[in-house]
Formats: sequence, C-alpha cells, structure tokens
Amino acid sequence: MEKGKTYYPDFDVLDSVKEWDPVTADVVLKRLGPFPPLKFLTDEEESKLRVICKHLMYDNRDEIFDWVIHSIDARLNDKTGEYQRSSKAPPEHILVREGLKAINDLSRKLYDTDFLSIGVQEQFDIIASLQVGEAAQIPQWSQIPQKDLFDKLLILTVAPYYSHPTIWSEIGYGGPAHPRGYYRLEIGLADPWEAVRKREGNKGDDDGGE
Amino acid sequence: MENESYVKHNCDHYKDSRYDDLNHRKYGDKEVDVCIVGVGAAGGVLAYELSKAGLDVVGIEAGPFWDPQVDFASDELHAYRLNWQDTRLSDGNDALKFGPNNSGRGVGGGTTHFTGVFYRFHKSDFRTKSTDGVGEDWPITYEDLEPYYTKIENDIKVSGPKQFPWGPFNGPYPYPEREPISAWAQVFREGCEVLGIRSSVPPLAILSAPFDGRPPCTNRGFCNEGCKPNAKFSTLIHHVPKAIKYGAEIITDSMVTRILVDQDGKAQGVEFNHDGSYYLQKAKVVIVSAFAVETPRLLLNSACSQYPDGLANNSGLVGKYLMTHSGHDIFAKFDEEMRLYKGTPVMACTQDFYETDPDNDFLRGYTLNAHGDRPVALSKILTADAGYWGKDLREKMLDFNFYSQITMVGEVLPQKDNCVTLSDQKDEYGLPRPKVIFNYCENDNKMIEHGVEKANQIFKARGGKPTFVAADTGHLMGGCRMGDDPDNSVVNGYCQSHDISNLFVCDASVFTTSGGCNPTNTVLAIAARTADYIIQMGKKGEF
Repeated sequence: MEKGKTYYPDFDVLDSVKEWDPVTADVVLKRLGPFPPLKFLTDEEESKLRVICKHLMYDNRDEIFDWVIHSIDARLNDKTGEYQRSSKAPPEHILVREGLKAINDLSRKLYDTDFLSIGVQEQFDIIASLQVGEAAQIPQWSQIPQKDLFDKLLILTVAPYYSHPTIWSEIGYGGPAHPRGYYRLEIGLADPWEAVRKREGNKGDDDGGE
Repeated sequence: MENESYVKHNCDHYKDSRYDDLNHRKYGDKEVDVCIVGVGAAGGVLAYELSKAGLDVVGIEAGPFWDPQVDFASDELHAYRLNWQDTRLSDGNDALKFGPNNSGRGVGGGTTHFTGVFYRFHKSDFRTKSTDGVGEDWPITYEDLEPYYTKIENDIKVSGPKQFPWGPFNGPYPYPEREPISAWAQVFREGCEVLGIRSSVPPLAILSAPFDGRPPCTNRGFCNEGCKPNAKFSTLIHHVPKAIKYGAEIITDSMVTRILVDQDGKAQGVEFNHDGSYYLQKAKVVIVSAFAVETPRLLLNSACSQYPDGLANNSGLVGKYLMTHSGHDIFAKFDEEMRLYKGTPVMACTQDFYETDPDNDFLRGYTLNAHGDRPVALSKILTADAGYWGKDLREKMLDFNFYSQITMVGEVLPQKDNCVTLSDQKDEYGLPRPKVIFNYCENDNKMIEHGVEKANQIFKARGGKPTFVAADTGHLMGGCRMGDDPDNSVVNGYCQSHDISNLFVCDASVFTTSGGCNPTNTVLAIAARTADYIIQMGKKGEF
C-alpha cells in the first residue's frame, strides 16, 4: 500500500546523500543493513516483537523492521538508561522480555494458542487492550504494568521506524541538510532538491490496500 | 599538538593534548578557588566569568566533551546521546518525561539541544505572590537581572527583532532577526493578524550574521540535535572554550557523587567517579549546576553527620517546588505544504496571553511558539503523548508536510508536592536514583485549556484544520528555590546556600516561579550575576 498512499511517489531522500556530511551519511546508511547478529533478543522474542512492531506501525515490510529490530535490540542491550520509568515498572529490558512472555500467555488464555498463531485481528485486539490497560487478567500484569509495556513497545518502535530513509521519502521529509541547508522557506517555496507533491487527492481517497 | 577544531582548539590546555585518563589533571590534589558541578548552561557561564576574573576554576561534567563535527549528526535518533539518559523514576498524574524534553548531558548541557529561543522574563514573573497572590516572590527583581540579560545577549549576539512587543525589553537585539520565516510560522503570524493578536519573530541565540568565527544559520533545522554548523549558541562552543583559554580546567566523563564538607560544616570539595575510580577535587567554593533533578539529588545524596537531611537543606525544601512548563503541542492541517522540518524550531511567537487577565478563569499566562518538527519528534508526540498507533498513526504521519504546530509554554505554579526525592533503587554508582513526582494544579489545567483553544483559533483564522493535540511539557525549574527567608528557600538571591556559605546552587533549580516562556536566557543571566557575586567575595577575602 505504501507507495500508493504517499503524496511523493517519486521522491527518494537518498538522492541527496552525497550532500550530507560524512558522519550523518554513515549514521543513516547503516539503517539499510546488513545488521550484526542480535545481542539481547532471542529468536523467539524477535519473531514476536517483529509482529508487534509491524502492527504498531501498520506496515509489513521486513526490510524496514530488520532495522527497527536491530535498533531495539541495541537499545535493550545498552544499560545507559531510559530517561524515566514509572516506579511501578521494571527496567525496560525486563519490561520487554517479560512483557513478550506475558503477551504470549495472554494469547494462550484467550485463544488457546501462541500469539504468533492467532489471527491478525486477534493480535491487534491484544495490543489495543494493553494500551488502555484492560487486557484479560493474568498474574504477570502485577509485575508488568500493561500501559507501561504498550508505551515502551510503541516508543521503542516509532523512533527507529521514522528514522528509516524509506519512510522519510514516503512522508516527503527533506532529510539531513548539512552543510547544504535550506533556503526557500516561505509558503509555496521549496528548494529544488525537496520532495515535489505528485498526488493531489488525500491519502484516504485512493485505493491502496494494506 | 595543533588542534584546528573550532570547539576544541582550547581543549589542549594540558601540555600536549587532551588525555582520556585523569593522570594529567591541572590542579590534582591542590585546592582550587571554585569547583563547578555540571558544565551546562549555567556551569559554562560560571566557568567563563570566574576564570576570566583570574580565579582557579575546575568544572566537572558527567558527560563527554562533544565535538560537533564528529559527535553530532543531522539525525534525531543519533542525537539521543546529547540527553541525560540515566533513568529517573517518574510518577504522578502528570508524570514528567526527561531526556530530550529537558535534560542535557555532556559539555554544554541542555544548550547543545535547546531551540535557541531566548526570551527575558517579564517583571511580573518575579512578583507573582505580590501581584497575583499565587506562587512566591523572588528575592530579586527584573531590574536586578536586567544588566545581566543585556550582557549575555551581547556576549553571544542574540538575533532578534528590532521591536519586540512584550515585556520590559523591546529590542533592538544585538544582531538582526533571522529571515525569512518558514511556511509553518508564516501561517501562525497570518492567523494572529486576522484575530488581532500581536505576533513577532522571537529572539534567538542563533546567528543571523557571522560572529566570532561562526557562520549564520543555514535553516537546516536540527537545533535540537546539536548544531553542526555552530550557528546556534551553546556554552560548549562559546563560553567553555574561552574559559579554558582563561585557565579553567574542564574534567569530563566524570560523575560527581558527593559534595564533601569539613568539620566546620563548610564545603571542601567534591568526590567524583571517572571510569569506575573515585577522585577528589578540593575547592574553596563549590557550585552545583547540575540542573533541576541532579542538583537536588546530589545535595540529598551528600547527607553526612553534620547534615543528615542533605546539604543546604535546613529548610527541608531541597527538591521541592519542582516546576515544568505546560508544553502542549497543537497541530492543524493546511492545504498548502508547511514542511515543519525547515528552519529553526521556533520562528514566530506571541506573548499576548502572558500576563494575568481578569477575564480568564486562571492566573498568570503563557507564550505560544510556532514550532517546527522532524519525523521522529512528531511521531513521538503522536504516539507517546497523543496515543496514536497503527493505521491512525501511519495516516497522520503521511500528512507530515501539511501540518503547522503551535507549542505552548505555560507558567506552572510552584507546588511543594511536586518534587525530587531519593528512591530505594540504585544506579551504577550505588547512589539512589531520583524519584520525581509531578501533578498539574487546577490553575495549570485551566491555562492549558485556554492555550489550546487560542492556538486552534489562530490556525482556523488562517484556514487550518485542527487535527490533534498532544500533552507535552518543556523545561524544568525549581527544586532549590531562591528566597530571602532561610526557612522558605534553599539559596539567597545570589544562589548562595543559606546554610553553607561557600556552597552555591546555580542553575534552573533556583527558580522561584517558572515564568511563562523559555527559561535559558534567565538561567544564563542568573549565572552571570552569581559569578559577579563570587568574584566580589573573592576580592573581599571571603573564601
């Protein structure tokens, strides 16, 4: 669906990569892979987390989520700190690890089978119930606050997802601009290397499917 | 060794070059005049002013000595390292978020990632109890700070309008305003115009013309990610290199774990941890400039037999009266492309709602800033703050280029129960992690409601469709507030502890009230004033 819904089907932010300073270019291009083996997540955790990340972002492209998973793994493996957490929540690496187990247990309780084996709609329903803290009761929720788990999974996913150059291109984000800069700022003006809107219709009007 | 780097050329203050161990300390076991804990906004100014006056100064910074050319990228995710990442426990109905929202790490502190907005407080901000019956009066007035605002703005060449409509200072600013403004700021000003609301470009600590070997801004937009061109001011690139040239030593990657006191109850220096080992730095004067969470935390963690409740805490108010700014982000969608990513983060503002208005059902007021954004920040606002995910999030983000954003900077009234305390969880140094509790009060919430409605009116007046609102906050202030009464404040008007005369607290934690605008200029002005006071103390032989 993705290309069908963008206003900027022709735009590729990576066309400007030669204009970026080398530090930035290196940081961004590494997001295209290849990625080193995961350090924190087990294969089983990775496959569950990948499905959840895809649902959270409403996107199925594995090449994007290879990067997202790599980023989350690096973050969970790095104990520098997570800025803040509720005093009721465990540290993020425990929250995610135990949270993934709890989600699986919840799936078994509700549907008699593993999270990865239930339907997409059921998976969405489980995720949605966590957001409002109203998932069916299982003992784990006393240690893993549902909303903290949901918020953590979402914030861990959204930052790398919207740091991927493919996503930048889709939303028409001009990307890094050092040393070149931007000069045509006012309404109706754009620098020649910026995204040019090709689709007039609102994204809701077209027929792109997920 | 020759160092051509703009920022680091003065870092080679040791014999040959900068070392990554602590075997080459400039002062070593010697007692220096002043030791500053935290080399951020206030710490940078203090290091500069005090070393310029000939004092022996050591600044100790928990994070690294950044080199913008190597350590900064034009990338939001990469910039996380500029934030204070250490985990704080955050509770309350309106639990605060830290990190990129307010806390810096490394030399320059928050100034490496602030938006550069450089307002002065208004006269009424220092007198809210007298004029409005809320909060508390500061022990100082606007007039006390005025010369220091002027000095700082001139020292760093603030770019701003020739005529600024609000508050006691109406321009002109040292450097001309930056122009042009981005589409998203243009619609803000046009909406204000329709409604008869005055608007202006803001004063910015971002160059509109070359200064001091630094170029003017290129509108790259990554002020919050560390300015790579060095067009935006930070103490990292302005005050600290000059301080080093005047002889100050900046010790980095070193976490101060304790302030030490002698038998007479005076501060005698600090203990710090570098790479797992502990070191001491003795000093005649200790200044804590570690910001609104770490400053009270360090004072509380430095409890000892003479001061069992923590240093400078005879009032019991260390950590109390923590404030933020209500920082709701209001978004509208326009038919034209706004391209939020272009230009500096704030390019237009209004302070027409800054002062108490008897027609409102709340006291005090706020600033509205037209605000730019980049994809990660916007998606985090949409998810963490506004609760969107899945298809809703995806579709909202596809409209990225069509949003304009207004961010509120609303005064939050000081409440004793909003505070920093020590938790029972330990960090990697074995020190209790800070626990922060925050709740808005009724006045805060009514002001937010007013600000959100006003922002949406401005958008609608220009043809924007209000699309979403995200609860957000900005900045931290308070926790070691200043005052004349030692029972009701932590430091005096010169940031000097009421209890320990050679211990100072100098950063945003001394704010008595929050004001209704971005606070960095006030932090720097207070630091410059405190430096003058300490220099005078030295001349009088008081330390």
